[in-house]
Amino acid sequence: MLRRTVRRDRMVGLFAAGVLLFNPPILNLVGGTIFGWPALYLYLFGVWTALIVAAAFILESGNDNEERR
Amino acid sequence: MSQHLIILAAVAYLVLLFAVAYLVEHTGGRVSRLTGSSLVYTLSLAVYCSSWTFNGGVGRASQSGLDFLPIYLGPTLAFCLGPIVIRRMLKISHAHRITSIADLIGARFGKSGGLAALVTIIAVIGLIPYIALQLKSISSGFAVLSASNGTDVATKPVLTDGALWSAIVLTIFAMLFGSRSIHPREHHPGMVVAVALESILKLVSLTLIGLFIGYGLFNGFGDLFSKAAAIPDIRSIFAHSPDRYGYNWIAMTLLAMVAVFCLPRQFQIMVVENVDERHLNRVLWLFPLYLLAINLFILPIAIAGRMMLPTDTDPDNLVLAIPLASGYPVVALIAFLGGLSAAASMVVVETTALSLMVCNDVVMPALLRVKALGLEQKADLTRLLLWVRRLVMIGVMGLGYLYMRHDSAQFALVSIGLMSFVAVAQFAPAIIGGLFWRGATKAGAFAGISVGFLVWVYTLLFPSFARSGALTMDFIAHGPFGIALLKPYALFGLAGLDPVTHGTFWSLLANIACFVGVSLAGRQSPVERAHAAMFVEAVHPGDAAQIWRRTALIPDLMSLASRFLGKEKAASAYAEWAAKRGLDARTVVQADTQTVLFYERLLAGVIGAASARVLVDAIVEEEPLGVDEIMRILDETSRVIVANRQLEEKSRALEAATAELKQANDRLQLLDRLKDDFVATVNHELRTPLASIRAFSEILRDHPDLTLGERHEFLRIVIAESERLTRLINQLLDLSKIEASGAMPRADAPVDLASIAHESAAAMDQVFAASGVVLRVEIDASDAYVLGDHDRLVQVLINLLGNAAKFARAGDGKAYLTLSRVGEAFELAVGDNGPGIRPKDREVVFERFRQLGDTMNDKPQGAGLGLAISQRIVMQHGGRIWVEESRLGGALFMVSLPCAPPKGRQPKARQTQAATVS
Repeated sequence: MLRRTVRRDRMVGLFAAGVLLFNPPILNLVGGTIFGWPALYLYLFGVWTALIVAAAFILESGNDNEERR
Repeated sequence: MSQHLIILAAVAYLVLLFAVAYLVEHTGGRVSRLTGSSLVYTLSLAVYCSSWTFNGGVGRASQSGLDFLPIYLGPTLAFCLGPIVIRRMLKISHAHRITSIADLIGARFGKSGGLAALVTIIAVIGLIPYIALQLKSISSGFAVLSASNGTDVATKPVLTDGALWSAIVLTIFAMLFGSRSIHPREHHPGMVVAVALESILKLVSLTLIGLFIGYGLFNGFGDLFSKAAAIPDIRSIFAHSPDRYGYNWIAMTLLAMVAVFCLPRQFQIMVVENVDERHLNRVLWLFPLYLLAINLFILPIAIAGRMMLPTDTDPDNLVLAIPLASGYPVVALIAFLGGLSAAASMVVVETTALSLMVCNDVVMPALLRVKALGLEQKADLTRLLLWVRRLVMIGVMGLGYLYMRHDSAQFALVSIGLMSFVAVAQFAPAIIGGLFWRGATKAGAFAGISVGFLVWVYTLLFPSFARSGALTMDFIAHGPFGIALLKPYALFGLAGLDPVTHGTFWSLLANIACFVGVSLAGRQSPVERAHAAMFVEAVHPGDAAQIWRRTALIPDLMSLASRFLGKEKAASAYAEWAAKRGLDARTVVQADTQTVLFYERLLAGVIGAASARVLVDAIVEEEPLGVDEIMRILDETSRVIVANRQLEEKSRALEAATAELKQANDRLQLLDRLKDDFVATVNHELRTPLASIRAFSEILRDHPDLTLGERHEFLRIVIAESERLTRLINQLLDLSKIEASGAMPRADAPVDLASIAHESAAAMDQVFAASGVVLRVEIDASDAYVLGDHDRLVQVLINLLGNAAKFARAGDGKAYLTLSRVGEAFELAVGDNGPGIRPKDREVVFERFRQLGDTMNDKPQGAGLGLAISQRIVMQHGGRIWVEESRLGGALFMVSLPCAPPKGRQPKARQTQAATVS
């Protein structure tokens, strides 16, 4: 039960981070190009990937033990 | 490219999909197990990416860069909250067998049919533009591919109109997938797998085109981006700018966040088609990953299109136009099939979900209410249900087609899609509030959803009509009747936002304000409060079922269920349920609350919670509601009251028992005292004659000089006293014999009371004559036969007559003996004119040794056993003896004996004689 709560809290934290990073005004800080690539494109997909990886870690850790209770 | 080839490819593709779906539903083994995998679940969720993603996203990106992306970032963020929001939605929907978003809202707010119908109607109206969008995208793709000028769809003759044909084909497709049979939980495994397959194709197709452009037409994406950066227009899109994205971006993110679970097709796939809640954990990150993957190449494709193609190209067709323009029609065909997949899956799932909602929450409740149709009596309604759903699908597609013909040509795909998003976003406050806020009321939900929807109609739908010419453009430019404050794109002067953001803001503001305001101001009915508790606290519906004590007969429920599910499915579902609960399905007839709830949910899976409730309620006996906490408390109290009452009863019983015991104790004490008296009396009675015998015997021994006369006199006394002693001992023996076991010899022969009376009177003649008492004998009955012992009855009568002779007034003593028949009994009466017996003594005279009067002064005139013996004898004869006052003023002893049965008198007598002889 504890683990489930921890996981939920972490996901909520992830949500908060996503809301901040994906929206103005932080979003508008990014601009221009990096190595010829649009910085915003790299930024958004980079954060997005990081978010998904983090979510995967949170959700899959100890998944089996818990879900098969 | 020839039209025939394109059509052939498209039809072949759709047939392939259908074959897959058919295989899944009709063969066992590996194929059918596909539906149980979290990967298929994820891919089917990707129905979210319609042709809007495929074509519209690219179009939008080519115009304004990355601001198509919030549509996918929103769901990613929403899925971060999945462990809280989506999990609860899944749990509750499974527990209550929710089959649509309308069902969910209706069920949450007291299984309200009206609310569900409202949600359904809004969903249909809101989603028709969205469906139109898919048709438009297919038809324009078809037009581009077949190299005709695709911008002029509306002016083409109807028969060559690709949109109409795609609408017809997709409708048939949807009917084949979504409404082939009725399943208790509205699972469509074939559809799910087909949609998952289409999702793969969408992704593969878009990725292929991205790679083709990146590496086929350019030297990698770095090359593409650096070439693009050389063009000032495009460079400016990515340039650093502190206020590039503002409210529009936020609004789109928010819309996408709620749309991902409010869209009927998303709800259908995510909640209704979910087979295993454990899939959720994986899907929560896998689905965002799919979204990321499918969006990865959209921006490069859009930029390439913008660089390569003339500026007047429809941006929504870039995905097709680029390969065509660069001379790769096969790639274009793949792109077309990808777009077709996206559109087809969206249309199929959306129309399936909408047809379920319309059928369950609007049409069936209405039909069931119309008594004239006689649906109540129809045995099998599954076919009706299926046809209603098919007709709804046709209707929805027809409306979509009409909308497309008249409106959509003016709009970019993304704008249309967002309009639908805003419409379905109106459900979000009610759902989120309903799941997490106990105080949310039905009235609040009703107000919020309807007001939000009206604002949507005013700020988004009407302007879309105005743009297409159905309303004047003045409506947008100057507001209705020239009232500037009411301009639909700048309501109350709120300018500077794009129409979707503007509409989102006002509609959701109005929605939430009304929802919260009305909920706070209003009051929940007890039923509503119970539902709120069920949803918000995620109480298991089985527990909550205790609130409604409902019973019904299983056959009634069974016939109801089989009308909607078909006989076999209903029977097997019940058998499974019965097995799970350990009931014997064949013998149980009365359904308890849990079983009623099971049936209600079984039905809800087919026709929706609201309709199911109405149907089940019609055959269920509902006991008075003991609804919520108050009622539960009341329940507790009543249980306490009952317990109290039982306690009271017990203590009363205890008191009664104590009283009885006390009585018995008193009686025992009395008997004890009587026994002591008895012993003392017997002692005295035996001593008296013994003493006189001894005294006279001693006189005779010590005085030899007594005269003969004296000697005779003394000897007579000795003999008389001995006789008295003998009599006394005999009587005592008699009495103890009678009392010991009632085993007194008693002949069951018929005896004539009249002769007994005469006999006894004759025997007592001397006694009466000696004491100077006149006895009168009156015998009024002849043949007065009773069953009994002749000698004993004579004994009784002699005893009574002896008493009469003893106690009659000295001097002019009178006594009488009468025999008469009273009903079924004979009454012997012996009366005298003596002192009589006081009423309080009339019971005690029959006790042993009880002699009335003062024993100290009066010489006892008997042993005091006569009456006791008489009473016992009479009782053994089944009769009664009692004392009254005689007509002469003295005591009257009455003996009542039952008549002998007229028949059997002789045989019995003979039997007795025979027994005696042998």
